[in-house]
Amino acid sequence: MVVCLFMKLELKKISKFFPGIKALQNVDFNLKQNSIHALLGENGAGKSTLVKILCGVYQPDEGSIFLDQQKHIISDPTSSLQLGISAIHQESVMFDELSVMENIFIGNHIVKKNRLVDWFAMEKKTKELLSNLEADIQPDEKIKDLSIAQRHIVQISRSLVHDADIVIMDEPTAALSQKEIEELYSIIRNLKKQNKSIIFISHKLDEVLEICDEFTVLRDGEVINADLISNTNKDQLITNMAGREISQIFPKKQVTIEQEILNVKNLYKKTQFKNINFNLRKKEILGFYGLVGSGRTEVMKTIFGINKFDEGELTFKNSKLKIKSPKDAIQNGIVYLSEERQNLGMTGLMSVKDNINMAIMDKNSKYLILDKLKDLQNASELQEKLNIKVSYWSQLAHSLSGGNQQKTVIAKWLSTKPEIIILDEPTKGIDVRSKSAVHEFMGELVDSGMSIIMISSELPEILGMCDRVVVMYKGLIKNILDVSKTSSEEIVGLASGE
Amino acid sequence: MKNFLKNRDFILFSIIIFGVIIVGFANPYFVKPSSLSDVLTDTSILIILALSQMIVILIRAIDLSVASNLALSGMLISLLSTVYPELPVVFFIVLSCIIGTFLGVLNGVSIAILKVPFIVTTLGTLSIYRGLIYFVSDGKQVYSHEFSENFLALIHYKFLSLSFLFWVAILVFIVMYILLNHTRFGRNLYSLGGNPDAAKYIGINENKYIILAYAISGFFAGLCGYLWVARYSVASTQIAIGFELTVISACVVGGISVMGGVGTVVGCTLGALLIGLIRNALPAVDISQFWQLAISGAIILIAIIINTKTEQRKDKTIMVE
Repeated sequence: MVVCLFMKLELKKISKFFPGIKALQNVDFNLKQNSIHALLGENGAGKSTLVKILCGVYQPDEGSIFLDQQKHIISDPTSSLQLGISAIHQESVMFDELSVMENIFIGNHIVKKNRLVDWFAMEKKTKELLSNLEADIQPDEKIKDLSIAQRHIVQISRSLVHDADIVIMDEPTAALSQKEIEELYSIIRNLKKQNKSIIFISHKLDEVLEICDEFTVLRDGEVINADLISNTNKDQLITNMAGREISQIFPKKQVTIEQEILNVKNLYKKTQFKNINFNLRKKEILGFYGLVGSGRTEVMKTIFGINKFDEGELTFKNSKLKIKSPKDAIQNGIVYLSEERQNLGMTGLMSVKDNINMAIMDKNSKYLILDKLKDLQNASELQEKLNIKVSYWSQLAHSLSGGNQQKTVIAKWLSTKPEIIILDEPTKGIDVRSKSAVHEFMGELVDSGMSIIMISSELPEILGMCDRVVVMYKGLIKNILDVSKTSSEEIVGLASGE
Repeated sequence: MKNFLKNRDFILFSIIIFGVIIVGFANPYFVKPSSLSDVLTDTSILIILALSQMIVILIRAIDLSVASNLALSGMLISLLSTVYPELPVVFFIVLSCIIGTFLGVLNGVSIAILKVPFIVTTLGTLSIYRGLIYFVSDGKQVYSHEFSENFLALIHYKFLSLSFLFWVAILVFIVMYILLNHTRFGRNLYSLGGNPDAAKYIGINENKYIILAYAISGFFAGLCGYLWVARYSVASTQIAIGFELTVISACVVGGISVMGGVGTVVGCTLGALLIGLIRNALPAVDISQFWQLAISGAIILIAIIINTKTEQRKDKTIMVE
């Protein structure tokens, strides 16, 4: 086949900033016509920001977008569609309650001359599209009854209806079986033959090497490498993705790790995770690394009692632990700081003081009446210890900066005098200085005798802070590694299912 | 799943037929064609309002102001008819619809543009519209003898021994059926309610749809304003008080999900018919008035429990077993 070298899409010096974070910086991205272009990078490298810019969800702060050599501004999702850009998102942008044909034609229904929807024509066209893709799906099935592979096919059909020239696929194979993956590959190759350009996002490097023509690697919002796939290999790609230097300072205190405190044995929950075996020792920081959606959060929520598990056993300080609800966990000295700090961690419209005291109100009351003095003592003690910057005590929690909000949530849990703290992405979305404050504080906590489980998608954080790291992939533990005896390449490889 | 939804409507239909038969055994007069026709007449306004409320519920909102809107539009045209008795009835109907639409658009603008939550907006306008009736009428009633013959002409018209009211309900049913199933507008309402974020990605203008949905709700509230005062030949500050709750119950019983995006025109109509049947049948079988409210309430709760049981959403699959 003759490969056309004509540039379909060019991004020039695109930058996007969020408060305290450079999501993208001077990113150049060139997509050729009928080419499959891999967009690679770790979690948080800037891939989804780039996709959102192409879809018109975000506006770039700097830089320009050229389509067919013409400059365009993609102001909203509609104009992105009109320009022929269609995305198959990881998260559901489908309508579960509506039929397959309607999902394909949504926003673009075929209408008759009298302006009424032409269901007959839509059904016919849908059958045609689906049989071209060799998919065994009925046009009137509801989306919620389809498998993930079938949903992808519906999304692909949707982009064909929109006559999109550029199809973005965000981890389309993440939840597919081997056979479904093969089928998807042949669909993708077919699209390429029809002169489409495809941006293919995946963490599975083998499949990238197999199916893609070109690649761009992002790291910390910058382009690290961009070339033809034929000029690279797996090792180089892994180094490109993971090989960043540990730029932040991780003030890890040296502590002596003591005896085992928590043991998790054969934890299993249907469709979520299986064979979860690990232990946690006193004064240890245990990391949990994996791709977003690999099941880390689900395991922790189960240990904390928010979700129930189907099988398994928890042992806490040599006695069997029964946790039916978060209350049991808290009473046993296990607390969980959610990744969704603002939704699940605090009550934004309550004061900082009340947030700190939220979990110990029964301890601080006598005969059902709250002891305000105890409240204030506890709050000010922790505020000082954690250095939470508040202007006055009744300040509402939502008006604090991200870092101070996180400290408030930590203070809330410290009030309960826990022995194990589970931190889910503790430094996500907070600025560098607060980040290192949180890290420093983690060191102090283990020094004072606590144990920490930290879920993180940032490799340097895992390598800098943890003693051991558990790597998860699709609901399974791939390995538990001693951080001092491993490399970032090994961890990234395991997390991608190697 | 589509079969199941069809089934749901079918189950509701069976319950209605079954109910009519049971009541028929207890009180044979109830199943005479003329009494059944009365039940349909009595339920017509409920059907119309439930169908228009359904549009609002589909996009995850609610319109609590419909009964007040109805009463205000009804009062305004009644007062007008006492001053200009010679005007044709069509004029009053159209005017009532225009007033209702205007009041509905006010709701929509407040929610879409001013971003006042729908529950606060429509709870507010529920009181405001009701309050305005006192203002325009000085708290007085318009009695039956004050209405002109013109004004009441249509309401007593019968065709195939079914009342004018019921024919209007049938017409509204057909219009709504086409609107929700066979127009882009209707289908986009479903997608907006089913997944608002995804709807944005396909370029649906949320604000426009909110305003239009409330305008439609208002339009039919206005229409029912005329129907109500003409049927009962009375306009007062108290008409249709609390009726919005009956309307919402009819939608819920009819399987319209308050989570948005789910529900059929047929189901909604059947829901209204069931509620109408209960309201008419309980007195017919000599169940004490004191029990009626409680029984209606229990039926609504059962319907909601069935809805939530069938609606439970699944966990996202992480591990392929």
